[in-house]
Amino acid sequence: MKVKVNGIELELAPGTSAIDAVFAAGSDVPYFCSHEYMSPVGSCRMCLAKIGAPRKDRATGNWVLDEETGEPQIFWFPNPMATCTTAIMEGMVIETEAEEAVKAQRGMVEMTLINHPLDCPICDKGGACELQDRAYEYGEGISRFEFDKRHQEKHHQLSELITLDRERCIHCKRCIRFFEEVPGDEVLDFIERGGHTYIATVEEGLESNFTGNITDLCPVGALLDRTSRFKGRNWEYEHTITSSLDDASGSAIVLDSRTGRLERIKAELNTQVNKLWIDDSTRFGYEYVNSSERIKTPLIRKGDNLEAASWQEVSEFIADKLAKLAQKEAAIVLRADSTLEEGYAAKNLAKILETGQIDHYPRQLASVIPNNSASLNDLASSDAIFVIGDVSQNVPIVDLRIKDALKGVAPPEMFEHGVPIADLRLKERMIRKKEILTVAAPYNVDLMRHAGQAHIYEANSEEAIFKALTKIANGEDSSVAAMSNEQAEALVKRLNEANNAIIIYDGFSLASPAAAIAARNFANAVGAKEIILGQMANSYGLEAIQVLPSHERYGYAEIMQGSAKALIISELNPANNSQYAQNLKELELLVVHSIFENETTALADVVLPAKSGYEKQGTIVNLEGRLLEVNAAPIDAGQAQDFEFLAASIIAALGKEGKEDLASLAHKAIRKQFGVDSKKLDPEGDLKPLKPRANNKAKLHIQSTNIGNALIVPTMLRLEYIDKNPHLLAERGAAKLTMNSIDADANGLKNAEIVSLDVAGIKRSFSVQIKDSVPAGLWLIPALPEQAIGLLELDRASLKKELEPA
Amino acid sequence: MDNITSRHDPRFEVTMYKYMGVENSHKLDFYEQHGGYQTAKKALTTMQSVDIVNEVKASGLRGRGGAGFPMGVKWSFMPPVDGRQRFIVCNADESEPGSTKDRFVLEDDPHQLIEGMIIAGYAIQATLGVIYIRGEYHLGYTRLYDAINEARAKGYLGKNVLASNFDFDLILHRGAGAYICGEESALMNSFEGYRANPRLKPPFPAQAGVYGFPTSVNNVTSIASGVHIIAKGADWFKSMGTQDSSGFHHVQISGPAVRRGVYEVPMGITYREIIFDLAGGVTEPVKAFIPGGSSCPMFPFTDEYLDLTMEYGVVAKAGSMMGTGGIILIPEDKCIVDALANVVHFYAHESCGKCTPCREGVSTWLPKMYAKLLAGLGESGDLELLEDVSHNIRGRSFCPLADACIMPVQASIKHFRHEYEYIIEHGKSMYAKKSRWQE
Ligand SMILES: Cc1cc2nc3c(=O)[nH]c(=O)nc-3n(C[C@H](O)[C@H](O)[C@H](O)COP(=O)(O)O)c2cc1C
Ligand code: SF4
Ligand code: SF4
Ligand code: FES
Repeated sequence: MKVKVNGIELELAPGTSAIDAVFAAGSDVPYFCSHEYMSPVGSCRMCLAKIGAPRKDRATGNWVLDEETGEPQIFWFPNPMATCTTAIMEGMVIETEAEEAVKAQRGMVEMTLINHPLDCPICDKGGACELQDRAYEYGEGISRFEFDKRHQEKHHQLSELITLDRERCIHCKRCIRFFEEVPGDEVLDFIERGGHTYIATVEEGLESNFTGNITDLCPVGALLDRTSRFKGRNWEYEHTITSSLDDASGSAIVLDSRTGRLERIKAELNTQVNKLWIDDSTRFGYEYVNSSERIKTPLIRKGDNLEAASWQEVSEFIADKLAKLAQKEAAIVLRADSTLEEGYAAKNLAKILETGQIDHYPRQLASVIPNNSASLNDLASSDAIFVIGDVSQNVPIVDLRIKDALKGVAPPEMFEHGVPIADLRLKERMIRKKEILTVAAPYNVDLMRHAGQAHIYEANSEEAIFKALTKIANGEDSSVAAMSNEQAEALVKRLNEANNAIIIYDGFSLASPAAAIAARNFANAVGAKEIILGQMANSYGLEAIQVLPSHERYGYAEIMQGSAKALIISELNPANNSQYAQNLKELELLVVHSIFENETTALADVVLPAKSGYEKQGTIVNLEGRLLEVNAAPIDAGQAQDFEFLAASIIAALGKEGKEDLASLAHKAIRKQFGVDSKKLDPEGDLKPLKPRANNKAKLHIQSTNIGNALIVPTMLRLEYIDKNPHLLAERGAAKLTMNSIDADANGLKNAEIVSLDVAGIKRSFSVQIKDSVPAGLWLIPALPEQAIGLLELDRASLKKELEPA
Repeated sequence: MDNITSRHDPRFEVTMYKYMGVENSHKLDFYEQHGGYQTAKKALTTMQSVDIVNEVKASGLRGRGGAGFPMGVKWSFMPPVDGRQRFIVCNADESEPGSTKDRFVLEDDPHQLIEGMIIAGYAIQATLGVIYIRGEYHLGYTRLYDAINEARAKGYLGKNVLASNFDFDLILHRGAGAYICGEESALMNSFEGYRANPRLKPPFPAQAGVYGFPTSVNNVTSIASGVHIIAKGADWFKSMGTQDSSGFHHVQISGPAVRRGVYEVPMGITYREIIFDLAGGVTEPVKAFIPGGSSCPMFPFTDEYLDLTMEYGVVAKAGSMMGTGGIILIPEDKCIVDALANVVHFYAHESCGKCTPCREGVSTWLPKMYAKLLAGLGESGDLELLEDVSHNIRGRSFCPLADACIMPVQASIKHFRHEYEYIIEHGKSMYAKKSRWQE
């Protein structure tokens, strides 16, 4: 369609909003209520322009012509129009700079400001505030409002994570719409009316996994991140755009740091992955990096003590010890969120040490690389989704992208100015196509609220379910656990008939190779693509580049049980398991690369300070097979280094330096394996999905059993750091032990009671959470990095009450 | 309202208001005895739904809720029947100051509305009707409640209404005291249990109304007029009124008139006839009248305006609106600034808060400006500021509520500028008289 904006003619797709036409023409118009990926509502009335359009004569169907010019006559709307809610029409003329438009915009800025406190000097948003900018650009500069402003609560704590300043709110409704439209958790609304209108929660607190996004999208400083409150001014922050290592989505984030401290995380746009949203763990789970308890220098054991030393010194010490070992005696274990570069470094070190004892963890028996992989944008436009597992806790962004699909609105076409500002296909309270989503899990998972069909099955029946469904898909008779025959048939039919069917599964299925194979076969049978939820940020990548043992005797669990004489381990704490601790004591050399001291560093001969995921430079592969850049923010972490530096130091000390450094080796290897230049990745990542290897030697796992009385379940929180994330801890509380009231009664437990429990060798402390949606007899335990997801047999006699609930 | 006198007007046979004020007129027995539900029976058993829509279209009946959109045309916008639920909604939220015509139907003749709803429901093939009644209308609510039960017990509502194979039932919903709930989309939000903010249009109710289903929203007397149009035919209806505005309407006169009340009148009557002939003239000197409820710009009480005929087009051309037909007389010695402060206060209180010009302009700034003027603190420039702010609000808001406040303000300045200037210059109003409610 042809439109003309401020004299510039352009051709745009029908359905485009006038505001996007304005920006597409390179012009500008102020706006507060519209927001990318949310419905246009037209409430701020800021985006006003003079708009007109030609008209067709009803009788003849021809354009009504201007008598003087002979051109189609433009009929102007009598009033300035909100461009965000106006769809373009053929021949529409939009003028944002016409005198009446400018007057209307000025008037609206003035009215927007009359109740705004203008306390910018003490406002965290100051310097990065849409209201400030727009008032400056489009306002008159002075206010004619001479009366008292509205006084409302200035420090209303919506949650431990978010504070609301009700005076600053300009009622754009973005925050309210966000909750309803994006995660579908309606937790905020306006209360009162007219000039008294304010934001409030219906109940206390914000029950959602995505609350922090409202601090990004609030156009003013009304909604503020409490972790960063009063920590700095926006112009003082260094902004580092990177990919989050919080989970397997690789969501885009911005790290705001200042004077060597990370002070805030905000969501960054990645139209392919997280759009503009991140979950609360990704946003608020960073405070640990500023902890004074971080290990800042290398430490070397002198008798009972660990004493500070230089990298050079400890590298030489390590090299000395390693040199004395025979082939296959050394072991290397990385955490599954290490970068590809760290993975290659570990592999190179292993090669030099002539050992196949190398692994990453947490990792499960089956591959996390799908055979026929779906991207997250595929997911958002899917018309049939079958989820087995707990998406919302594993990778919350996948949960959000599923909810995109429920709206039935495919990801928008981009403009040169980016994501449409007002996508007219989006509406408030859209009717969701729940019927396209089926969710099954061994307990009640959050996504079930949004599903057309939800099934709770007996833990560990994933294999049976997939097999039975496959039979049905092949036209055989079968019955599926927890589903009626009609339901199972309807599910298979829907997946079969869909254009873009997707099956999503997680650690529950990966815990058993047979289940994973069954899942894959079912996907094949119904022609569905797969999304597999790996447990950590680079689970996909580290498997892809084979940071894996050369033999099943050499996996993580075997190493912990004494298969090696020396161990170099990064960011894992196996000694929290008392049995492993015994074995680790026997080692001739234990090198622990860690951010904090823990049970394992206590046993170490050498402790090396590790970088957090916000301090590293490198590459990861997310669950879609997308290579993403990880960038380092300037955070003061003492002498902390990544594993690549660690490996290089040891290799140098071993006198084994090759022609090339590890970084260029990794760079080449990535190019060879994935066909991309890791130094020139697209800002949104390069999607390079691989095929799973037919023969995966890494098969070891000792925790998973076929029967059990407890289930290690995914958690979006990184529990290993939660004690040092005070805000997140205050909001989310300690790790939960969740059980049915029958079990609670049998053990005399009350809600919120603090208990300790031996979980397969690891002594852990929990707060009891009683939920009758959990099947009786099954206790749910959130995973630690050292404890992969799956069923286990718990010694319930080890349960001890620590503290009565308050 | 002291009296309803229009029943005694010899020139005109009253239909909708025929039984207002008659004892027991709200009971089913009474209604049946006076021909009740015969029209519904005729419609449901002898007419196709499209015939009804066409008849109403032909009658030229324009919506009586304020906007004056032809009811038959609105009904014809309903999408083809596709198996989805459809709704007919009766807007009985009547809250516009000066308006009280719906109240009498609700209180004194609820069965007439029910019959209208059955016909309307059949016309647009909606099997569910919603009557959204203003919360303060307690008597209307109880009478309508009882009437619906009576009708249901008699088979006028429920399955197979009047043995016609058409199912129809009614949901009676009480508002909670917000003017904005009269705006049709806010009404639907409120009915669904959400905050009463107006919705974005399009989609219009016909495309996505109550719960997203095809819906038509019509005013009480629009719906009730349908009964008489179907009973007596479009030609009969058109025999009253004018080409532009056919049929009868109900004017409601308040202020210093001899006989304040509601009058059923043919459209096209002059304001002079209404005020002097029906209402018996004025009890004290009057300087202005509002033709259609508080949101309509006032006219000076001069021959030029008194001789206007009550027609949608004519009133609009003269700079105001037909609105709901609520005529308010403003006494000569009532300070216009004070009067408008009252109007502004109402809209400020009723603003839903959704959009900036209304929430900040109408609901926050204007009442403070008026308070300043009334407190005698006006300064030079204040009037110009008031005009400019009004200009910045008008036509920019999300729904018409803000304009409903601004248009009377602008009209008052246009016609009575000297009163504003006086109060600014002298620090007190030109007239000492206080409103009755202020005394
Ligand atoms: C602020 C506002 C208040 C309204 N209040 C009422 C009302 O109380 N009753 C009513 O019938 N229509 C009211 N309307 C008009 C309705 O939106 C709608 O146009 C009307 O109910 C349609 O019915 P009709 O076509 O029969 O007039 C109001 C409109 C606005 C903008
Ligand atoms: S709190 Fe912020 S996002 Fe929410 S309505 Fe107010 S200004 Fe908008
Ligand atoms: S004009 Fe705006 S604030 Fe006022 S009632 Fe309408 S939508 Fe609400
Ligand atoms: S009205 Fe707010 S952006 Fe258009």
